[in-house]
Amino acid sequence: STAEQNGCRYCKKKLKLSRPSQVSSCLVFISAVKAVPAKAVPGKATKAASSSSEDSSDSEEEKAPAKAPLKAAPVAAAAGRKKDSSSSSEDSDSEDEAPAKAPAPKAGPGAVTKPKAAQKKQESSSEDSSDSEEEPPPKPKTAAKPAPPKKAAAAAESSSEDSSSEDEAPPTRKPKAGAYSAVPPPASIQKTAAKSSKAEDSDSSDSSDDDDDDKAAGKPAQAKAANAKPAAKPAAKTQESSSESSESSSEDEAPAKVATKPATTKTTAAPAKAPAKEKAAAAGESSSDSSSEEEEQSVKTKAGAKKATPAAKPATPAAKPAAKTPAKEESSSDSDSSSEEEEPPVKTKAGAKKATPAAKPATPAAKPATPAAKPATPAAKPAAKTPAKEESSSDSDSSSEEEEPPVKTKAGAKKATPAAKPAAKKESSSDSSSSEEEQPAKSKAKNATPASKPATPAGKPATKAAAKPAAKTPAKEESSSDSDSSSEEEQPAKSKAKKATPAGKPATKAAAKEDGSSDSDSSSEEEEQPVKSKAKNATPASKPATPAAKPAAKAATKEESSSDSSEEEEPPVKTKAGAKKATPVTKPATPAAKTPAKEESSSDSSSEEEQQPAKSKAKPATPAAKLAAKTPAKEDSSSDSDSSSEEEQPAKSKAKNATPASKPSVQQASATKKSGPAAKKVPAASTKPGGESSSSGSSDSEEETAKPAVTNGKAATPKPGPAAAKAAKSSSSDSSSEEEEAKAPAVTPKTTPTAKPRESSSSSESSDEEEAAPKAATAPNTPTANAASGKRKKGEESSSEEEEEETKLKTPKNKKAATTPQTFPKANKKSSNVPFRRIVEERVEVDPRLADNSFDAKRGSNGDWGQKANEVLRFTKGKSFRHEKTKKKRGSYRGGAISTSVNSIKFESD
Amino acid sequence: CVSGFSPRGDRGGRGGGGWGGGRGGFSDRGGRGGFGDRGGRGGFRGGRGKNGAVVPFRRQPAEGSVTHKSLFLGGGFRSPDGGGFRGRGGGRGTPRGRGGRGGRGGFGGGKKVVIEPHRHEGVFICRGKEDALVTKNMVVGESVYGEKRMSVEEGDTKIEYRAWNPFRSKLAAAILGGVDQIHIKPGAKVMYLGAASGTTVSHVSDIVGPEGLVYAVEFSHRSGRDLLNVAKKRTNIIPIIEDARHPHKYRMLVGMVDVIFADVAQPDQTRIVALNAHNFLKNGGHFVISIKANCIDSTAAPEAVFASEVKKMSSENMKPQEQLTLEPYERDHAVVVGIYRPPPKQKK
Repeated sequence: STAEQNGCRYCKKKLKLSRPSQVSSCLVFISAVKAVPAKAVPGKATKAASSSSEDSSDSEEEKAPAKAPLKAAPVAAAAGRKKDSSSSSEDSDSEDEAPAKAPAPKAGPGAVTKPKAAQKKQESSSEDSSDSEEEPPPKPKTAAKPAPPKKAAAAAESSSEDSSSEDEAPPTRKPKAGAYSAVPPPASIQKTAAKSSKAEDSDSSDSSDDDDDDKAAGKPAQAKAANAKPAAKPAAKTQESSSESSESSSEDEAPAKVATKPATTKTTAAPAKAPAKEKAAAAGESSSDSSSEEEEQSVKTKAGAKKATPAAKPATPAAKPAAKTPAKEESSSDSDSSSEEEEPPVKTKAGAKKATPAAKPATPAAKPATPAAKPATPAAKPAAKTPAKEESSSDSDSSSEEEEPPVKTKAGAKKATPAAKPAAKKESSSDSSSSEEEQPAKSKAKNATPASKPATPAGKPATKAAAKPAAKTPAKEESSSDSDSSSEEEQPAKSKAKKATPAGKPATKAAAKEDGSSDSDSSSEEEEQPVKSKAKNATPASKPATPAAKPAAKAATKEESSSDSSEEEEPPVKTKAGAKKATPVTKPATPAAKTPAKEESSSDSSSEEEQQPAKSKAKPATPAAKLAAKTPAKEDSSSDSDSSSEEEQPAKSKAKNATPASKPSVQQASATKKSGPAAKKVPAASTKPGGESSSSGSSDSEEETAKPAVTNGKAATPKPGPAAAKAAKSSSSDSSSEEEEAKAPAVTPKTTPTAKPRESSSSSESSDEEEAAPKAATAPNTPTANAASGKRKKGEESSSEEEEEETKLKTPKNKKAATTPQTFPKANKKSSNVPFRRIVEERVEVDPRLADNSFDAKRGSNGDWGQKANEVLRFTKGKSFRHEKTKKKRGSYRGGAISTSVNSIKFESD
Repeated sequence: CVSGFSPRGDRGGRGGGGWGGGRGGFSDRGGRGGFGDRGGRGGFRGGRGKNGAVVPFRRQPAEGSVTHKSLFLGGGFRSPDGGGFRGRGGGRGTPRGRGGRGGRGGFGGGKKVVIEPHRHEGVFICRGKEDALVTKNMVVGESVYGEKRMSVEEGDTKIEYRAWNPFRSKLAAAILGGVDQIHIKPGAKVMYLGAASGTTVSHVSDIVGPEGLVYAVEFSHRSGRDLLNVAKKRTNIIPIIEDARHPHKYRMLVGMVDVIFADVAQPDQTRIVALNAHNFLKNGGHFVISIKANCIDSTAAPEAVFASEVKKMSSENMKPQEQLTLEPYERDHAVVVGIYRPPPKQKK
């Protein structure tokens, strides 16, 4: 209740500040689910409602669950993020896979819409129809909301409460929603755009409960933003995240995303922007996961847990990643695909928001979320949503997945459209493809890819052309990513758009391939692959962040994002993040944060299960710190791994451009399935190569061999494109060959170039690739363990994942080792080059009496003339030591009495 | 110089001419301090000089009471100027070195100081408010590196001691640290490898006294210049500006020695010491080696480095007998004392 109250408070605040429309939305929430949403948000709300209606129609059950999750997620994020997580988990359980799926789609759309706002939502809707359209409107609103980040946080809390309540009892939720809505109206004035839109979306999609959740999510996001850094950018990011979260909340993933975002922001504290982005991305991921399927819901719960952890441990990103990873694991592979798709949108939304249009993107996201929520609700808002989801995910995967994919596609479409019409198209295409199968996805991917390509090519310029330079490009990327996920073809196109050339295409292609492969394969597996690709996309995003620091890096990030987007929403988000990062002054911080977020998102989406998220999380944490250095390294490693599979080259190029970004991408790729990641990466580096690789990757996903081929293609393309793109390619190829393996290679590249080659070789094969991926993951951060776990959960690849995990664990520590294997000559040299040492400590036997050369260990040290000097000098070092000693030399030292005792240690010769 | 002082004041001027000059230098410092006093002190000194006196520290007490510690004399000074106080005080300030000289009078000496012999022959401890390690100055009235001096008048003879700062000298650090034997004693012939500017060498010179000899080997011409200046006034120092790695280059200058003290801080210092020991160290002679771990292997643990060096010594007929850390006076340093070609145990 407290949380709700908070949310209400926020809402009120927002309402006061924001617009009347929001108020209406709030009211709507209170009153009814769908009808209310439409009413609440005039333009956007209506769209959201329509989307929700569609979603509901698609899968009522899914919608309902999605809503529940969304709520839960927001609640977690807002109040005690940890608590939220728990609640979200419950929600997800109560709901079923269907709900999860619904959320995911919504999230995706939301993400897309966010980038370009509602403008392109319609386009996306065309694919998804009502869902896509509806979603876009909400996103715009969400964007507006972003402005009041702090309020968002409060809303998030309330949402979290709502979600919990919703799970248990829909009615309760409604009341809460009402409360929120009541509040929102006032708040709507301020936050109307973001929150109200979100709320509306959620409402429309889900019942009133969903609406509440959305609002909460929006609030959390804002809160997160505030936490991260109220700065305009952070706020925007948060808004995005909130929008995503709202979407996710509508589903389940949304909340998780929100939570993750806040958590990330908190963790990243320093890079406020980056954190915000990360949070948003994370939220998106979580949301996508939940939406994707039952697993997704679990993911959401996990996300919630993550959120909670973040809240509890704002400082520790690791905790968040861990939480996410578990959630992902739970979600399992089945939900992965849907979740992935959804996640990407969310990410894209986040990215869009971040970029500039934050408000618009957010709203779209919110819309998608709402639709998802609606579907979820039908499924069942039962108390044990998470359990149900899990079960359903496994059981109902096919049906739910199918439904989810559409939803996702819609979300993607919406997102794409908002961000940029092309993007929207892509997303929609991707969605359809995902829902239907690979073919549709491909077509969508193609659509998306074009959009992404424009954005990526110029990187920033492209984005500008789209609509709002920075914002547009991200949006495009996102859209592309969405499309990619849906359809491999779209992804390539996107990648092209991003890089304007091959790099982007390859990435998209890879993503598309992944998607396709996933499609062709069991839905669950296919979905997982997409997720992976998303993860890769996410990594690209991280790369973009780094790029921000460096122009090249930016391009890479774009590519990555494109690749990501192609796979699913995550990529777009990443790209956005990258674009944003680049554009924002705080490139360093933001990039790091973004990359982490991306990674997380990607990991989440890709693995849907916990592994990917874990990786991404882990990556984010480390990225910030080591982003620059590591990312390059990662890129290299990825490139290396790619080189073995061809992808490595692209990765390298990416690494060169923006090392940080490349690393994240690699990780993401690794996290997601190899093929997926590779594809994403490829886009980033050089969309074209990536596309090839992705295509190969898709085949690979179906079969391992195909992946290697892709990697090769990527490698070739990557070189032309940015280093980051290469890395992405490599990752994508890896993922294609084997999801885990691909990831592993990407990771390995990071560790070291030399290692990369080896890994790549190995990556060509599943075992090697897996190992490489783990390394990459480990390299980024400790989260590797989490990531590994997530990978394991993925299922089929579980064994390989386990290996990956091990490798990751090892790799982080043993990066050197990895490197050595790659370059035999180097290794030999090293062996021969063993640093010269006059004294080999191991060979010297030290008399125990002489084992300590310190003053204190000496006999008679107490009361000795030099004791005072020791007190001063023992702690000094370097210059200060010299200074202190000089003072002593002047003769001013007073040591007291001099003793003539013998304190030396005698050798027992005689 | 005096004129220079003048500005300061008359005090300096008064202080006395000659010294004043010396002081002049100080005066500057003093100037910085704003103490004209220093100059004053200088004067004191001069005064003393004039007085010729100085007596045992003790005397000063009367006046010394004023000063805290000025080592030696501060007494006379006072007379010169009323400011004398300051002078003393200033003297203290001066401590930094020079002060010793000019102001040396200012040291604690002013107060009561008791000189007592250390366990090591030729080394003394100045007991006072604050103890100090000192050696009997072979060249009365001269400070080698600005160290403080304390003079004690016993009967008609005046004995001057020079403070020995363990932070400047590893040998002093070893003594203060509690090394059992330094084997450097009055009348001993010592080969000092790594003499540098001759600060420690001057104290070794004090220890061995007129009957002993110090072969100071230093390869650096820059520091060798200072070493030469020290050797000019200390007849028992034989400066050798050569590379200690090539003992044959100065073999005609060096006879057999009783002790080799090495502070060369070279990675192969043990070998260097062994070379010189083979050439100049008598059987049963001793060596005192200061080891700087970072100069041997900065990546290894100091303890391991020391152990390694000790092992090397053992293989060169140099039998280590004791080891002592130089903390806190030096970081990661240890001194190893041993015997070269020890006589058969029977002897023992």
